[in-house]
Amino acid sequence: MLRKSVFLVVLGTLIMSPASAQIARIKHSTGNAAIERGSSRLPAAVGRQLFAGDRLVTGKDGRISLTFIDNTRFSVGPNSRVAVSQFEYDRTRQRGEFVTEVNRGSLAVVSGKIAKSGKDAMKVRTPNSLLGVRGTRFIVEVPQ
Amino acid sequence: MIRLGLVICAALLIAACAHSSLVLLPDENGGQGAVAVLESNGKPGQAVLAQPNSRTKLGQQEPVTRPLGSKGLTGKETALLSGLPPPARSFSLYFEPGSTQLTPDSRRNLDALRAEIARRPGAEVDVTGHTDTVGSEEDNDSLSLKRAKEVLGILASEGINSSLMTAVGRGERELREPTADNVDSAFNRRVEVIVR
Repeated sequence: MLRKSVFLVVLGTLIMSPASAQIARIKHSTGNAAIERGSSRLPAAVGRQLFAGDRLVTGKDGRISLTFIDNTRFSVGPNSRVAVSQFEYDRTRQRGEFVTEVNRGSLAVVSGKIAKSGKDAMKVRTPNSLLGVRGTRFIVEVPQ
Repeated sequence: MIRLGLVICAALLIAACAHSSLVLLPDENGGQGAVAVLESNGKPGQAVLAQPNSRTKLGQQEPVTRPLGSKGLTGKETALLSGLPPPARSFSLYFEPGSTQLTPDSRRNLDALRAEIARRPGAEVDVTGHTDTVGSEEDNDSLSLKRAKEVLGILASEGINSSLMTAVGRGERELREPTADNVDSAFNRRVEVIVR
């Protein structure tokens, strides 16, 4: 059952994002801060572009700030692991779907146009909950 | 079987002990938002958290929300919030009728736009062109894109990296001032620039 749903999620992701397009850009980072993309690990340098599926990972002194193309803003705190597992945005219609997973650590969010585009169009998953974002500024904390 | 059940329960308890939490804040303009708990420990939920300046422990059957109270945010939370990038800012630049010529006022506004881009590390710039309803839709699609590209070209010629910028045209589809067809409007002949 689990395997089947994992398969469906993977399949869904492939269908919904045929081309990898930039979804966000790093505005600031300090300390040990990286982007994990597939099996590679890239420093979270200012100006670096993000793609759907990327994971934001920080060490105990690390922080990352970023802004998405729908104007959503993130601040990732130390000792965090945050995955942008789904992000689709139609700039013309200003609609989309956005799923973030906070696996550990802390994330401050100011939601943007996707959250406004439909009820629960933006979701945040923690190890024990699934949240539907209806606006706008909040913090999710997941202790280790 | 019972043992398996115990293991699952223990796993759930550990998950519950991790105390994920949500702090809900008013938005930057003082407005009030909300977050719905759609699922809790795998079970569907319906709770909507809407109390600003509150803290909710997640993963419980019925989420319990408490006001932040006099203690307010922790130092870590304050630091996290201060790490948020500044909100996107938008600029409107206006054009002479039927042309890609900026109005004199808008030429001067370019300075503010340039300064805003310069003060943002890792900036991105979305340029969207628009027209009034004079002329055909096809011509206006083309003119709106030309206007967007004109602005992008000016910024690029002043040293702003064009890989940070995008230009699109929306023709007469998004009027700022609603008008009938074939109406001259200085408000609608514009380019919207969003700096993130």
